[in-house]
Amino acid sequence: MRLAFWLYEGTALHGISRVTNSMKGVHTVYHAPQGDDYITATYTMLERTPQFPGLSISVVRGRDLAQGVSRLPTTLQQVDHHYHPELIVIAPSCSTALLQEDLHQLAAHSGVPNERLMVYALNPFRVSENEAADGLFTELVKRYAVTQEKTPVPSVNILGFTSLGFHLRANLTSITRMLQTLGITVNVVAPWGSSIEDLGRLPAAWLNIAPYQEIGVNAAAYLEESFSMPSLTQAPLGVEPTMAWLRSLIEKLNAIAAQRGVPPLSMPNLKAFSLDGLSAPSGVPWFARTADMESFSNKKAFVFGDATHTVGIVKFLRDELGMQIIGAGTYLEQHADWVRKELEGYLPGALMVTDRFQDVAQVIEDEMPDLVCGTQMERHSCRKLDVPCMVVCPPTHIENHLLGYYPFFGFAGADVIADRVYLSCKLGLEKHLIDFFGDAGLEYEEGASSVEGDVAPSDSNEQASETVGSEVTDLPDDGEMKWSDEAETMLKKVPFFVRKKVRKNTDTFARSIGEPVVTVDVFRKAKESLGG
Amino acid sequence: MQVPGDIQIIKEDNVTHSFCGLACVGWMYQKIKDSFFLILGTHTCAHFLQNALGMMIFAKPRFGIALMEEGDLSKNEPTLQEIISEIKADHNPSVIFLLSSCTPEVMKVDFKGLAHHLSTPEVPVLFVPASGLVYNFTQAEDSVLAALVPFCPQAPAGEKKVVFLGSVNDSTADDLRAEAEELGIAVGGFLPESRFDRMPAIGPDTVLAPIQPYLSRVAVKLSRERGCSVLHSLFPFGPDGTRAFWEDLAREFGITVDLRDREKAAWEKIRKQTDLLKGKKVFFTADTMMELPLARFLHNAGADVVECSSAYIIKKFHARELEALDGVRVVEQPNFHRQLEDVRRIKPDLIVTSLMTANPFVGNGFVVKWSMEFMLMPIHSWSGVISLANLFVSPLQRRSKLPAFDEKVWLEGIMPSAE
Repeated sequence: MRLAFWLYEGTALHGISRVTNSMKGVHTVYHAPQGDDYITATYTMLERTPQFPGLSISVVRGRDLAQGVSRLPTTLQQVDHHYHPELIVIAPSCSTALLQEDLHQLAAHSGVPNERLMVYALNPFRVSENEAADGLFTELVKRYAVTQEKTPVPSVNILGFTSLGFHLRANLTSITRMLQTLGITVNVVAPWGSSIEDLGRLPAAWLNIAPYQEIGVNAAAYLEESFSMPSLTQAPLGVEPTMAWLRSLIEKLNAIAAQRGVPPLSMPNLKAFSLDGLSAPSGVPWFARTADMESFSNKKAFVFGDATHTVGIVKFLRDELGMQIIGAGTYLEQHADWVRKELEGYLPGALMVTDRFQDVAQVIEDEMPDLVCGTQMERHSCRKLDVPCMVVCPPTHIENHLLGYYPFFGFAGADVIADRVYLSCKLGLEKHLIDFFGDAGLEYEEGASSVEGDVAPSDSNEQASETVGSEVTDLPDDGEMKWSDEAETMLKKVPFFVRKKVRKNTDTFARSIGEPVVTVDVFRKAKESLGG
Repeated sequence: MQVPGDIQIIKEDNVTHSFCGLACVGWMYQKIKDSFFLILGTHTCAHFLQNALGMMIFAKPRFGIALMEEGDLSKNEPTLQEIISEIKADHNPSVIFLLSSCTPEVMKVDFKGLAHHLSTPEVPVLFVPASGLVYNFTQAEDSVLAALVPFCPQAPAGEKKVVFLGSVNDSTADDLRAEAEELGIAVGGFLPESRFDRMPAIGPDTVLAPIQPYLSRVAVKLSRERGCSVLHSLFPFGPDGTRAFWEDLAREFGITVDLRDREKAAWEKIRKQTDLLKGKKVFFTADTMMELPLARFLHNAGADVVECSSAYIIKKFHARELEALDGVRVVEQPNFHRQLEDVRRIKPDLIVTSLMTANPFVGNGFVVKWSMEFMLMPIHSWSGVISLANLFVSPLQRRSKLPAFDEKVWLEGIMPSAE
């Protein structure tokens, strides 16, 4: 038992429904108490689905339990009658898992033909979102994929793209555009937008692309083992990884082409991957070399997230933008080994593996990095600390589900990430001006930001008013060190964007030397001791 | 005159899309400012709170989950002492509400005993039944208020005051208080007040005036335990409900007031809105349990309420609203699959529905309003009349201003599983 406020991974049902909500003609029936279908709102509100997600609840009421009644058979009949799904996936909830009901038997009582039912009775106390999604998707592939003729031309399946995935549609577009440029046919995208029939057609492709460690690689491994389909499981995240990804893709497909006597693919001029067909496919390599970006060489970054993005972003920041990585971590314990292996030589210390956001927030507070790449939770923690942060992976917030084309994959993705880094960090000539003159005339900006910041009266802690989909920013804790007026005036001369950091460091310094108040003298000593 | 209870209520099997009682944490912890809400629950409960209500964590969130993991399932009694100590150290609350959820209820955790054991005279720990096995959405506020009853001082006999029942924001509370005082009604306070140590005194001569329609259990409990009377009127929403509410409440205090002109003036103020609402077909799918009074307002405003569904209808508590809804199709514990078919057939002009179902209804060509918004907007009494009317009217007006929409074009690719 522990006190939790916020969790990185969703529940097993979230994982299951992410897969089924991605698919045509598949419906999840969730055997659960009223309210457990809150999960529907994550699709209808974050993804803004214009149709009802295929998710129904077979309600368990206290009274039903007392009377030994189960509504599961009736619910299955209703779902079958109203929606005619090709497949109904039946899942238990935490509370019904405890009841140890025989879901197979209950499902059989519905009279819905067995071949249209699938009981996915995993233990919701043991299995979380990603494992459940990956597990179900693999099961579905095993159930439906059948041996068949390969397509005559080079073709691929794109696996692991799943409802509510991070920048899902843009990433898919980015990958599909590259495939088009190479002249490679997409056989099936799954589970996103696929039908049961599509899963059956998976083995017709020559190769599987499964860029997400979290979902899809196990299905790709199964297809490799059972249908001898090679797979490409790297993520094309960053310019160099995208080039490597393209070369690897061509190489693997050409090996098959040679066997089949099909003409080989070749790498086109890289301009072909740009939007206009006339330019460099990405601005990142030049951008990283500009004098403007020199200031990046001593920028310190901390990365925390799922497996795929933590690895991809650490490599991108260090290898392509030349930033210093001061630490990284993941909340996916089951993928920690893979992350460690991928990031060997990249991290100054051990990989952080935790699902407690408070621990991550503490590291950020201790290190005060120049940039944090994390989840929505890190963005929130950073907001408190005034540390620049960009969200690079789930869990997300409504503001990460934007309309525009912002892929993270491919050449276009590298540009998007670099832009976000640039906009998040404070850098360049502007930084020198601010450092030198204190505020560079930007002081007025602080007036606006301090409304939610450091000078708010303590009782306004409570003024939070909540509306749907909004978020309430927070105020710093009480119990800060006292500062004399003169010391405050001196602090004002420090550039505003590092002022919080300086205040915090000075507080710590004052405490360490047993000073109850930060005076001008203490502040000077702190500057000397901490190097300004 | 129709006898309450005679009204035809269609009862179905409660297959609805709505939240469980834990949702009440979203507003209750903000209302009672020195409280902490601790849910004994699972990953599901935590995921719900962080996602569905769009809530994010605060610097010092005053709610949390005592997270039951697999190893906790075999234990007879959950040990919460450490967690309680952690909460006290970090948050220094005056009261901790311990909310039940489905899993520990299936495990038959003795919540009453647990709360009692964790309570100290300084910081009481109060059990709040909230699980989705029994309660939905707004109903757990009823449980929170019931848990607060022992902390309402006993008002002496002869102290005739009104206590408003239901959590509203401070400015709405001020309005209600001022309105009552203007009518010559002595105000004893609100249950809940915004601090734990300021709960109102309640005694045999207290008149309890429910201002939210989902608080029947605490009303019954108080009338039984304290002998107070409970106002049975319309809920104070809309000109019609507000007039009935204040006239009936005044009568309890031996005061006769005639608010006919006030009601008329209020209708006049929203004439533009009601002109637009006249004859419009409105469908309530059931979510917050505010459906009966909202539908009654629309009905009286001239709208055609084609279905008013509500999760639970308590015949005595809702008697006046039901009476006023005579002729309207009222459904308790509706079946969503059936509603969907009816909606497609009836083609309502406006659907009041949950966060879960709103956008798909829009995708099906309908105009919607989030039912939850009515809980977060100041729609009570006279001062709330315009807000209330606008909540219904704004989606209709907004839609009429948007350009024509060809769904074949603009929905392409958004949800490929539905194509």
